[in-house]
Amino acid sequence: MIMMTNRQWLMTGAVVALLLMLPLFLPNFWLANILGRAMVYGIVALSLTFLAHYGGFISLAQTMMAGVAGYAVAMMAPTAIPLGPFAMSYGYAIPLAVLAATLTGALVGLIAVNTREIYLLMITLALAVGFSLFAQSNTQWFRGYEGIRNIVGPEVFGMPFRTHLVFYYVALITAVLLYLLVLYVVRTPFGLALQAIRDSARRTSAIGFSVALHRIGAFALAGFIAGCGGVLITFYNIGITPSSIGLWPTVAVLIMAVIGGLGHPVGAFLGALIYAVMDTFASSIIGHDRFNTLIGLVFLTIVLVSPDGVWGIGKRLAGLGGGKEPVSDPVAKLTAGGK
Amino acid sequence: MTPPPPLPTDTDALVLKGVGRRFGALAAVSNVSMTIKQGERRAVLGPNGAGKTTLFNTICGDFPPTSGRILLFGQDISHLKPHQRARLGIGRTYQTSLLFTGLSVLENLYLAVRGARKGRFSMLKAGPDDADVAHARALADRVRVTQLLSAQVDAISHGQRRQVEIGMALAGNPKLLMLDEPAAGLSAAERPELVALIRSLPRELTLVLIEHDMDVALSNADIVTVMKDGEVVVENTPDLIADDPVVQSIYLGEGH
Repeated sequence: MIMMTNRQWLMTGAVVALLLMLPLFLPNFWLANILGRAMVYGIVALSLTFLAHYGGFISLAQTMMAGVAGYAVAMMAPTAIPLGPFAMSYGYAIPLAVLAATLTGALVGLIAVNTREIYLLMITLALAVGFSLFAQSNTQWFRGYEGIRNIVGPEVFGMPFRTHLVFYYVALITAVLLYLLVLYVVRTPFGLALQAIRDSARRTSAIGFSVALHRIGAFALAGFIAGCGGVLITFYNIGITPSSIGLWPTVAVLIMAVIGGLGHPVGAFLGALIYAVMDTFASSIIGHDRFNTLIGLVFLTIVLVSPDGVWGIGKRLAGLGGGKEPVSDPVAKLTAGGK
Repeated sequence: MTPPPPLPTDTDALVLKGVGRRFGALAAVSNVSMTIKQGERRAVLGPNGAGKTTLFNTICGDFPPTSGRILLFGQDISHLKPHQRARLGIGRTYQTSLLFTGLSVLENLYLAVRGARKGRFSMLKAGPDDADVAHARALADRVRVTQLLSAQVDAISHGQRRQVEIGMALAGNPKLLMLDEPAAGLSAAERPELVALIRSLPRELTLVLIEHDMDVALSNADIVTVMKDGEVVVENTPDLIADDPVVQSIYLGEGH
């Protein structure tokens, strides 16, 4: 699955080409508020799927890492209201914000290095909620409950970031690059060892791999991905508030990753798209009182029908789900290639 | 059986000084001291619960000793992590086969080759490395699983898995090879293959094996250590061990 077949590359190329051409057909609302939004939240979900599928960690701290990048870029943004103490151009603010998220990821990895499963879930949940509450109570830098406004992003080719086309294309290109980055990294020595550790940490350390180092590295990479998403989400929302990184957004990212399917990085984006569509249109279908019920029922149905999410349904429909295929294949095609 | 040729050197490969390992109130291993020369074949014998595997795991770093010191070629490794010990030249197998079951034989060996060399943490170059794949194939030849390269390890026989495990342990050119009951659970047909494999290992490689089967242990070892209740009871050459009254009482009588 990791080393994509020609057919999969063809499909990926076709989907990307279609997405690149969509602005010719779709109204602006769909471009920015459905697809663009799905991509930027999908990036954060991608960081969760990466950790879950290749590392075996379910981390609830991904929204928090995105939030660190979001707050960092907001504090450094030249347009911020109120203007932060470290105002600089976006050209410096964005990479520094992503760097901050990467370091935060490494730190979370360091804290979580010896925990698994339910304990990891609790630790990362505590970190996520704790950071959100900290942002809410800190008025000096985080601006408390109000957050930081007017984070409009840099101009791209002379056009404001928050025009529909610019936002859509930047979100699309970033999402595709990060998606390809994940598919690439999992085939490097680091990625192989990460999956080996997931399958048997004890075995992997006995052949010379440092389990702790690879886990921290995985969280740092997840922090980098989530940080890219966090910066774009902050531009999308034109600012950041504590509630945008609180418990509900944390759960929302988990829902996206799960309904999309944790079995493959593409699931993160599928899940984010379904979430964006449901979140936008459910209230017009069923009215304001019951729209959360409808969303919940749709998600429940997806997970009940297919434990590996929408991606799993697609995989079965395409007839790829043959029983004996391993969930992952760290040295994919090594054997076949050598025959 | 023909006796093994004399030892090549007089260097101490592994020295244990009063090594103990407690789990709460239970002393699984207590006050074990031994010196294993380079190139020596050492068998560790003993009934179930004697602390053999715990001693192994303490030497390999799965958990540090609660007392005493472990020296590998003179270097104190008592508190190093398993991967650090592996890089210093300890290769091991497990009592129950521990392999990456979703992967093929070649992929398992390939991972072991990668773990033994620099650039383990690299995120730069994707895809299999040709030299490493060649190394993995050579290992497969060495442990006689060439026919099974593309087979998933959960589809091959127990004995073949044992051979793959030894191949993985050899990937880093270890100086000390630790085999935890390599012949356990093997069929009569599989056993000679494994014994032949163990006998084919280079003479300068130091080998420690836990063995339940007295015959396998005695025919493959230069020196045999017998453990009981976490302590070393007797240490002697195979021909003297078999006649030792203490060993006989452990293995044959008194229902220990």
